[in-house]
Amino acid sequence: MNQTFEKLSKILVPIAGKLNNSRYLQVLRDAFMLAFPLTIFGSIAVVIANLPFLDKVMSEGSLNTLREILNVAPNSTMGVMTIFVVFGIGYYLSKSYEVEGIFGGAIALASFFILTPFVLNVEGKEAVQGVIPLDRLGAKGMFLGMLTAFVAAEIYRKIVQKNITIKMPAGVPPAVAKSFAALIPAVVTLTVFLVANMIVTQLFHTNMHDVIYNAVQAPLVGLGSGIIPTLIAIFVTQILWFFGLHGQIIINSVMDPIWNTLSLENLNAYTKTGEVPHVISKQFIEVYTVGMGGTGMTLAVIFAILFFMKSKQMKQVAKLGIGPGIFNVNEPIIFGLPVVMNPLIIVPWIISPMVVTFVTYLAMSSGLVPPPTGVAVPWTVPIFINGIMATNSLAGGILQLVNFAIVLIIWFPFLKFIDRMNLQKEREEETAKNAS
Amino acid sequence: MKRILLACSSGMSTSLLVTKMQEYAKSIGEEAEIWAVGQDQAKKEMEKADVVLIGPQMSFLKSELQKEAEKYGIKVDVIDMVAYGMADGKKAYEQALKLMGEK
Repeated sequence: MNQTFEKLSKILVPIAGKLNNSRYLQVLRDAFMLAFPLTIFGSIAVVIANLPFLDKVMSEGSLNTLREILNVAPNSTMGVMTIFVVFGIGYYLSKSYEVEGIFGGAIALASFFILTPFVLNVEGKEAVQGVIPLDRLGAKGMFLGMLTAFVAAEIYRKIVQKNITIKMPAGVPPAVAKSFAALIPAVVTLTVFLVANMIVTQLFHTNMHDVIYNAVQAPLVGLGSGIIPTLIAIFVTQILWFFGLHGQIIINSVMDPIWNTLSLENLNAYTKTGEVPHVISKQFIEVYTVGMGGTGMTLAVIFAILFFMKSKQMKQVAKLGIGPGIFNVNEPIIFGLPVVMNPLIIVPWIISPMVVTFVTYLAMSSGLVPPPTGVAVPWTVPIFINGIMATNSLAGGILQLVNFAIVLIIWFPFLKFIDRMNLQKEREEETAKNAS
Repeated sequence: MKRILLACSSGMSTSLLVTKMQEYAKSIGEEAEIWAVGQDQAKKEMEKADVVLIGPQMSFLKSELQKEAEKYGIKVDVIDMVAYGMADGKKAYEQALKLMGEK
């Protein structure tokens, strides 16, 4: 059994390494991190504007004024998130090739704007010229933004690296020299996008936004919002951790663009109408899988050990794990219990997150518990609190407690079995010590 | 003065071990600087270190970090899983010393 695991591990480690070190995935990760502080700022404002007791202490008029003031925060951060992601990709990708990052970011952003129609179409009315439709800068433009930024930064850096640049004589201030150095690469890159835009708008009478949205984003995001692909993602994450590999780092770098887009759509709808369109989103994954004591929802496991198990080794691990576990860090359990390569634990380790995710999905899609609103909750916020914050409802926290109980029940027989084995071993060691 | 760098995904879970290692180093009267970083900073921080240890969940970083570490002539290894899980400062510290000794 262990040999099979070792063999599988030998196959998985290099794949995980490749994915983790992939330049594009790394850049994508960093670019989303760039937007993170802004997202938190916007989220705080949404939470305050939607505090449940506000309508009881304020008149409707002043509540509306308060919301009007506060909604500026999410509208100017999450509402235009694609801008930050585009700039971030342009910057970090250029930097990874060791060419001037700030120009890479600016060129990526300009390329994205070239493809964006500055026209607002309102149904039944005349189109408004000279405005940028906000939804194209938010969730709706996300995939085009990412694609454009990667292509733009690639073209830009290739030209810089081929040394097709204007070089200023020594003595010219560096800022001037740098902007001249970026001149040719910028002109070439932007021309490529200008031509691409010309072809799409003049020949096909559409725009790149609609093309990418309909051909790439809508199908991918639609797929990602389903329960089956979500369960597959969780299954693979658990398997990777079973082999001691950081599952999220690998799976999330692939899934984050989809999950984040779903979150943005949720938040947009929530601030406008109070309704949430998607059950699955970034917060669904973070708060309802990781946010219960870490990957594998191990806070329940720690509780089970502390209250119901007797072996010294397990108690020690649980005591060590409870502090970080409350804040969803659970490496002590994963490597100490251990979970890694432990055939006795593989069943509850994989089954319980999948069962819990399915239960959560049912509870939310049936309307019993409201789905996460899209408000960003840092992954280290403890269970129950993060559930309430994410869904803006007490029911969101209570659902986590139900899930906690489910995990406990699934794990219990397996833990009891290991406990009995450990106790026996500990007793044997004790007698051996006494005998010598 | 021994300088030991620990790296994991965000530097969060290894920081637990850092405290335990520092405690152990102090208890045996050795002076050591031990700190934890996320994978993004690991390459940069390396030049200040005598040895690099990575969390077992990031074992796939080893070959990449190894390449970088060769520039500074230092060693990289994955922390022993059990030592990591039990936050065994003594064992991890000894692992670091052993690696440094092999230089």
